[in-house]
Amino acid sequence: MGYLEVNYQEIDGDVRILRVAGDVDFDAAPQLKRHIMSRVDAGDRQFIVDLSAVEFIDSTAIGVLVGALRRLDANGGSLLVVCDNEDIRGIFETVGLEHVIPLHRSHEDAFAALAHAA
Amino acid sequence: MHSPLWPTPPKLSLGLRDGDHPGPVEIRLAARSSELGRMRAWVSEAAALLGCDGKSRFEFVVAINEAVTNAIRHGTPADDGTIGVRLESDGGAIVCSVCDGGPFVPPSQRSDPTSDVGGRGFAFMAALTDELELVVNPGATVVRLRKQRTAEAHAGDA
Repeated sequence: MGYLEVNYQEIDGDVRILRVAGDVDFDAAPQLKRHIMSRVDAGDRQFIVDLSAVEFIDSTAIGVLVGALRRLDANGGSLLVVCDNEDIRGIFETVGLEHVIPLHRSHEDAFAALAHAA
Repeated sequence: MHSPLWPTPPKLSLGLRDGDHPGPVEIRLAARSSELGRMRAWVSEAAALLGCDGKSRFEFVVAINEAVTNAIRHGTPADDGTIGVRLESDGGAIVCSVCDGGPFVPPSQRSDPTSDVGGRGFAFMAALTDELELVVNPGATVVRLRKQRTAEAHAGDA
């Protein structure tokens, strides 16, 4: 099993931050899915997923994020990604995913986007 | 834990002069998702020895990982339970071939086409490489990915 770590943090108000570290590939994507979906099932609706400490990401991990985003969208929630790792940002941009999943460089930018959408 | 299936890339650099690139390098890996991390480390090092670096190398590793993941999930391993990954130079590019021992299973015929974790592999491969070729035979499926060594060389070709 590859290295994957997910930390969960409740912020004042309704926002939840998931900090993901390690390699999120097909082997690890189910763990990521369990972490996010358990919080969605618990009723959380506003997520910032911080991928800054992720060293590798694949299409199945992106699929988990898109799946969670769709489910949250349908329930009036939202999911944003924060990432300052240029390699990972490059994948989102090259594949055209920054149009599907909002991508921000900092938590400040992500919070501003959430406040703007509210 | 090192298995004999995993030759270590550093020996490839032996005897190389400036401007030389080593010939084809190939590994065989067990068709298990737990092998993906080691496969990526090997491919990344081999790509670097073949002269591919920086953003180009990271994109190439992501694309190759998609092909290998598909082979593990949907392909048929060779008789010894492995799939093959081969890298070689071709002019200003590197070509990677990912080979399994069975027929190609189109995405529409896979067990769970509606799964939210699947279905994006070929889109990733196409976006992250310069050329994507699928060679389908009854006894083998090969996905061939071609990538310019550097982003600059690619820009210069455009």
